[in-house]
Amino acid sequence: MSYSTFNRKHFDSTKEPMFFGENVNVARYDQQKHPIFEKLIEKQLSFFWRPEEVDLSTDRKDFQRLEEHEQHIFLSNLKYQTLLDSVQGRSPNVALLPIVSLPELETWIETWSFSETIHSRSYTHIIRNIVNDPTKIFDDIVTNEEITKRADSVSKYYDRLIEMVNLYNTMGMGTFDVPGKGPIEISMPKLKKALYLTIASVNVLEAIRFYVSFACSFAFAERTLMEGNAKIIKLIARDEALHLTGTQHMLNLMASGKDDPEMAVIAAECQDEVRQIFIEAAEQEKEWATYLFKDGSMIGLNAQILGQYVEYITNVRMQAVGFETCFTTKHNPIPWINAWLVSDNVQVAPQEAEISSYLVGQTDNSLDDSDFDDFDL
Amino acid sequence: MTSTSKPKAPEKKEQVHRVLLGKKQILVTEDEPLLVQLERAGIHVEYQCREGYCSSCSIKLLWGNVIYPFEPLAWVQSGYLLACCAIVKSDIEIAFFD
Ligand code: FES
Ligand SMILES: [Fe+2]
Ligand SMILES: [Fe+2]
Repeated sequence: MSYSTFNRKHFDSTKEPMFFGENVNVARYDQQKHPIFEKLIEKQLSFFWRPEEVDLSTDRKDFQRLEEHEQHIFLSNLKYQTLLDSVQGRSPNVALLPIVSLPELETWIETWSFSETIHSRSYTHIIRNIVNDPTKIFDDIVTNEEITKRADSVSKYYDRLIEMVNLYNTMGMGTFDVPGKGPIEISMPKLKKALYLTIASVNVLEAIRFYVSFACSFAFAERTLMEGNAKIIKLIARDEALHLTGTQHMLNLMASGKDDPEMAVIAAECQDEVRQIFIEAAEQEKEWATYLFKDGSMIGLNAQILGQYVEYITNVRMQAVGFETCFTTKHNPIPWINAWLVSDNVQVAPQEAEISSYLVGQTDNSLDDSDFDDFDL
Repeated sequence: MTSTSKPKAPEKKEQVHRVLLGKKQILVTEDEPLLVQLERAGIHVEYQCREGYCSSCSIKLLWGNVIYPFEPLAWVQSGYLLACCAIVKSDIEIAFFD
């Protein structure tokens, strides 16, 4: 089955599965199989922000005053986040658009990926402001061993799915000898398995991989350092939480069989593998914390506390997609982080918040200096 | 529940329910979501968005009823509730990780 940018068949898209049904044709949103994706689009649009709106002039001075090991922590996190958003700014599009079958989901994928490109642009904004030669930082992302190790884990499921879908679209079903890779079997169950594992791995990326970095950014800001950066991270964290909800919905819909009964079978078969994806990511993040603090800790944070935080948050995320938790840490060792992660610091009733955030133009007006006061480490 | 002794103040019907959490018992009303009321009682609940879209505040609901005035964007697992936007409608029992 080859991909068409405008499928000529007449069919009811509300009867299609999320993926691997008919190629989408008319981009219509008046009827939806899964209205949640339309809601996510609206919410994401209401979150729109521009990195340049955040003034970073003080951050530049702050950065120069940081100790060397603190600069290492700050820059390494920036590099890692740059890697993650480089992947996320393109991969949902490249991997998922050729196989998506619902217009609302197609547009959610595009909206999601677009918001990741804003994150990438914000890193350039930050890096430009704090160093004279951004190239040194960007170049290190492709050579630094600690980062490339992670690049491999976050891109391998995407790459595998993309390769299989390419074969499927050009050759159809069967077993194909791919030079340098040996025989690759293409069948619907194999494709769906590759898809499910990809979504699981992206879910873990959105759910866990940013949080060590977030914690460090907020720990700097607790000391009134790098506050412009913290404002940007707050906006990024708000987006990431929404992306996470998107992948959680996809995983839960798949596992429930409500969308595609065959997918439920595959989800059940993949339980152990998905568990492993969670655990592997958590272990890598713990290692990352050790790498960050190799030359010294920062006030309020060290590798051990961050490790416990990673375990805690992994438990929270596993529970959200119906998995047994796998770490013994049952308490958040850095509860102060939540006050930074919350999108509106003004405590409004959720009803009101729900309404206000649907107003386009409500971006980060609620973020001012008062957001950054009064949190103790 | 009839009260004859009190003067007839404009009656604000405050429905109070018990929330059981381990050995603790917290009284909550239907006026606000569960999360803020637990926090006021000194109980730390994980949260992030406080608007129903991140699922961080998901807690086990062992029994009892809650409702959502607005359908949350986050997926609510069966047997769980989202504390930031759930309104407690009966006595309930909740639990964090086991
Ligand atoms: S805090 Fe985000 S869903 Fe409740
Ligand atoms: Fe991102
Ligand atoms: Fe994301």
